[in-house]
Amino acid sequence: MRAFRVKTIIDGPCSGEPVFLDQKISFFGEIEPRTGLLTGRSVSIAGKPLIIPGTRGSTVGPYILYALKEYGKNPVCIIASEIEPILIIGCIIAEIPLFKLEDNYLELIDYLRKCKKPYIVLDKNKEALIVYEKKRVFDSH
Amino acid sequence: MYLTKEEEKIINGEYGEALALALKVIVKVGEHLGAEKLVKVRHVHISGVSYSNIGDPGLRFLSRMVKRLSSNTSIVKNIYVTSNPTCIDLSQETRIFDRKLVEGQLLINSVLERMGVKPTYTCIPYVIRRPNIHEHLCWGESNAVIMANSYYGAYTNREGGPLTVMAALTGRTYYAGLHLIENRIARTLVSVNLPKVDDEYASLIGLYIGYNVNNIPLIKRSFTMSFENIKLMLASSAASGNHGLIVLESITPRNTYIVDIKDKISIDKESLEYFREKISSETEIRESTLAYIGCPHLSLTELIKLAKLVKKYRKVRKNVVFLITVPGLYMSLFNDIIELLKSKGITIAYGTCPVVSKLTFKPDIVLTNSGKACFYLNKIFNVDVSLTSIDDIVKVVMEK
Repeated sequence: MRAFRVKTIIDGPCSGEPVFLDQKISFFGEIEPRTGLLTGRSVSIAGKPLIIPGTRGSTVGPYILYALKEYGKNPVCIIASEIEPILIIGCIIAEIPLFKLEDNYLELIDYLRKCKKPYIVLDKNKEALIVYEKKRVFDSH
Repeated sequence: MYLTKEEEKIINGEYGEALALALKVIVKVGEHLGAEKLVKVRHVHISGVSYSNIGDPGLRFLSRMVKRLSSNTSIVKNIYVTSNPTCIDLSQETRIFDRKLVEGQLLINSVLERMGVKPTYTCIPYVIRRPNIHEHLCWGESNAVIMANSYYGAYTNREGGPLTVMAALTGRTYYAGLHLIENRIARTLVSVNLPKVDDEYASLIGLYIGYNVNNIPLIKRSFTMSFENIKLMLASSAASGNHGLIVLESITPRNTYIVDIKDKISIDKESLEYFREKISSETEIRESTLAYIGCPHLSLTELIKLAKLVKKYRKVRKNVVFLITVPGLYMSLFNDIIELLKSKGITIAYGTCPVVSKLTFKPDIVLTNSGKACFYLNKIFNVDVSLTSIDDIVKVVMEK
């Protein structure tokens, strides 16, 4: 288990088996809003925490988040290292909790990779992201 | 956040529910980004308007905003509002865009025009209304944003589509990010070791910087580049990266940025060719070929250049769709050039582009001079894209 510092941007629940990416993402073009699948991959972000270094590309991104929410394929929350205005407005209109990672992104990703089936929760004060190596049965989250 | 009396009135609903909601959201985004106040904007450019991209959820979002508009919206009268391209060819003459989307798109267009949007339908609003130096804008559309900041010395963040709608309604945005000079600091010095940069290399340099530089770059002026190629380069960087400002030595107006170099990179022909191999296919004609120029939309100069280039050819080859895209506003303009291009078999679409629309066919290969189109079309169509020069495209796809 390891903890990483986060800051709340848009408050809300955030736990689950995360999908994490190496590269910044353009929601437009890189996620299918009707399925929640990452374009060209069989990985879905639907119902999962999404961990990204940041966003890039198209300013249509917020509408993709909004559409994901309408189709019920949205990530449960987003944790990003770099927070662009595009990401904030998208999360506001789609009502997706958003947290900023305050610690080093690569360290988080390295640790997530080492875990067999990583499971994340936020601490009570929502100041830390806690990564478990796998889901703990007795976890109340 | 500090709000003026008028802004408080807006938030308290004195100008109707839509404006109150819009300003509340702008304040919320601004607070997260550390804004201490709002700033009035003269020109808003709305992105995220294509029915094929935002679909029914986006249409519902926009309709809900407009339904709440009361008639008492006089505060936004002296603001200029333009809109990005949509998914339909406004001339309705071409057959390569999916017609099933027309109805939904026209609904979006009518919602936008009710908000006071001028029917420009283009991604190059800077050609329609030139931004002034130090002017505060609220623009979506990544290529427009980076041009406004880097070429014109105006101030805008890379805004998401919905926020531009809210700024169009209220005439304001939050005062943070690239609106403040202290956030416009060039950190990476980029030297380009090429004597002259044509369209293809402009796109390559742009994509390369987008992928490889994570802060604000300053490009040393060691080569010549036309306005059109600067436009191609910046659009490419804003697609493959998240750049809102790239300082161009002796082009970006002084006093709109600060220089504090921490990093240096140099780009030469070899590194660009190596990079090209990773992102681009060979230039060739296949069974179904799309040659595409006009990402970002073509300016008049580019239209003229293309017309000159194709003059000596008879027509576009079989199995090739040669598409160019231009602003919706050009509809009744430059008819002599447009007619010449059409007579050669070139398809001209107004107020749209393949990135924001659905095509009625799937090409085997796309040839383009645009790094931005290369970046998106490869992802959207899952198709080979060849990034090459406009001269080569014309040579390959037209016959004498």
